[in-house]
Amino acid sequence: MNLAVEIAGLRFKNPLIAASGTFGYGVEYEDVLDLSRLGGIVSKGLYMEPRDGNPTPRITETPSGLLNAIGLQGIGIRAFVRDVLPRIARYDTVHLVNICGDTVEEYAEVARVCDGAEGIAGIEVNISCPNVKKGGLAFGGDPRMTHEVVAAVRKVTRRPVIPKLSPNVADIAVLARAAEEAGADALSCINTLLGLAVDVETRRPKLAFGTGGLSGPAIRPVAVRMAWQAARAVKIPVIGIGGISSASDALEFLIAGCPAVQIGTANFVDPGVHERILADLATWLEQHGLDDIGAVVGTLEYPGLPGPCGTEVCP
Amino acid sequence: MPANRIVPLVAREGLRGPYWLLTFRHPEIARDARAGQFVMIKAGTSAEPPLRRPFSIMATDPGAETFTLFVKEVGPGSRALGRLAPGEVAQCLGPLGRPFSTPPAGTEALLVAGGYGVAPFRLFAEELKRSGGRGRLFYGGRTSDDLPLLEHLGGTSTPLVPATEDGSVGHHGQVTAPLEEWLDSGAGPARLYACGPEAMLHAVARVAEARGLAAEVSLDPWMGCGIGTCLGCVVKVQNTDETRASYRCACTEGPVFDAARVRWPGEEVSRARRERAGFMA
Ligand SMILES: Cc1cc2nc3c(=O)[nH]c(=O)nc-3n(C[C@H](O)[C@H](O)[C@H](O)COP(=O)(O)OP(=O)(O)OC[C@H]3O[C@@H](n4cnc5c(N)ncnc54)[C@H](O)[C@@H]3O)c2cc1C
Ligand SMILES: Cc1cc2nc3c(=O)[nH]c(=O)nc-3n(C[C@H](O)[C@H](O)[C@H](O)COP(=O)(O)O)c2cc1C
Ligand code: FES
Repeated sequence: MNLAVEIAGLRFKNPLIAASGTFGYGVEYEDVLDLSRLGGIVSKGLYMEPRDGNPTPRITETPSGLLNAIGLQGIGIRAFVRDVLPRIARYDTVHLVNICGDTVEEYAEVARVCDGAEGIAGIEVNISCPNVKKGGLAFGGDPRMTHEVVAAVRKVTRRPVIPKLSPNVADIAVLARAAEEAGADALSCINTLLGLAVDVETRRPKLAFGTGGLSGPAIRPVAVRMAWQAARAVKIPVIGIGGISSASDALEFLIAGCPAVQIGTANFVDPGVHERILADLATWLEQHGLDDIGAVVGTLEYPGLPGPCGTEVCP
Repeated sequence: MPANRIVPLVAREGLRGPYWLLTFRHPEIARDARAGQFVMIKAGTSAEPPLRRPFSIMATDPGAETFTLFVKEVGPGSRALGRLAPGEVAQCLGPLGRPFSTPPAGTEALLVAGGYGVAPFRLFAEELKRSGGRGRLFYGGRTSDDLPLLEHLGGTSTPLVPATEDGSVGHHGQVTAPLEEWLDSGAGPARLYACGPEAMLHAVARVAEARGLAAEVSLDPWMGCGIGTCLGCVVKVQNTDETRASYRCACTEGPVFDAARVRWPGEEVSRARRERAGFMA
């Protein structure tokens, strides 16, 4: 049974990656699970300098979802490379760093530090955080800015560059193409959906920041649709993210064209979620007489579109 | 930090009002839990509500391999726990968080509880009994309905002092009133421990500061994960040597904090910082 996949020249031993901001820096889970069982780990978003993040309350639960406005609290890239990386690098998994910036220059600066750090396999460029006033969505919502940020990062590193796209745009295909043209090696789709929850007694937003980013099962259909649209728009691989908590959820993204997926909010619900999905994925493949996960990727038979069987509309 | 644990409910007892005592079996939690620690728990395997909920460990019985939670029903997560039948299971992470410290020898542990914040002090009282320490539990609420655990706090060596704002049981007034009376009555060296609504914790912190006593408070922010990764549970803390307060995870650095390190709402700096800077009133 082969569950390994290759994306942007990186070999992931399985297609399940821990999503940024939902797995800490990895060390938090050291005693809970065997980190080398994961396909990959994406760090919490990191700037050059440490960040406080937003005031509290920062999270609230919504139907089948979680609304958060953490605001990228973090230790900064240098502390990560110095204090955390040596500890997690010994686990045999793909270590990706999620980078942030207030300016294009800052993205490039953080990327340069990553480039020089042993143990960082690739760079996920967060141009899609809805919870910061500068950077984030301001870059990811505009194809020109997306191009500029990705190109700036591309210039300073030989490591794979993986922009993380926002769902808070009218046409994700445009952003996906902009990132591809700027030299991206793969894409991560999607970040959280901009949301607002209101406390009806106080008539104020439930989160101190105001709006927040929605994640969890509630966003899965939107996420699958957008990952599928992005995958159709570009030639580089698209990593699917959004609301995955079971093997069948992961398979939706794989079938829609994503060679790998990231698991976010489900880590909070069940820290053993990777192990469970991995086992169920293998069972599913076996039941379907397949021995390679790659055989599932991009097999969506969508009405009116050419199917994998090569016909205009699959029978 | 411990792995996910499936814990069967072995006993449930409905108390007055929306309160339950729920006893689960798990040998390690029963053996390892210390007063002030909590579990992140979710009834059954249903998808809703998505997240686990934090509950203090109220009591343990290492012999029977059980631990007990004191649950107030306030919403879907706590309601689902209250509906569990014996034999049914919950998913549980724990014990989590930093416990209350052991009171120094010769120091009286003054435990101040508000509402469901009484939960950790049952276990605290058991620890005091085992160690031969001295303590006193001040247990407050608005009315007697808020003190459903009154009858369940016996059997320890810790005297119980109830207080209600409407006077329906115990002292008439806020729980800090009998606390201050006790301190005024010439009690010996004491350390304060508090768990309850934030306003009460702040009041206890002020009592401690005014009298130069150490105090530990158990904070209860909204928690998403319980293990330091979502950064949803942070509270503002400021150490003596820090010029500014910073956010710390209540789930891993707390929920119990030195009250002097907490930067309370409406206060510019923490007590620790104030005392260091030498501009104490
Ligand atoms: C460390 C810790 C220990 C706790 N110990 C206990 C305990 O021993 N017994 C007990 O009954 N409860 C305890 N709680 C509170 C308990 O976690 C919440 O009541 C529970 O999460 C509510 O979930 P729900 O789904 O039932 O209600 P929800 O619908 O999630 O909440 C109902 C209402 O309560 C508010 N609320 C939710 N969580 C909290 C919170 N943590 N603090 C204040 N308000 C909140 C919500 O804003 C909402 O208005 C503890 C909390 C923490 C952080
Ligand atoms: C609490 C929280 C913090 C997050 N922090 C980050 C972050 O730092 N950088 C980032 O690119 N995405 C961040 N995300 C987005 C997730 O990585 C993921 O894209 C999103 O949650 C959707 O996946 P999910 O439904 O599986 O959670 C965060 C999400 C949550 C819930
Ligand atoms: S509850 Fe998630 S970090 Fe503390």
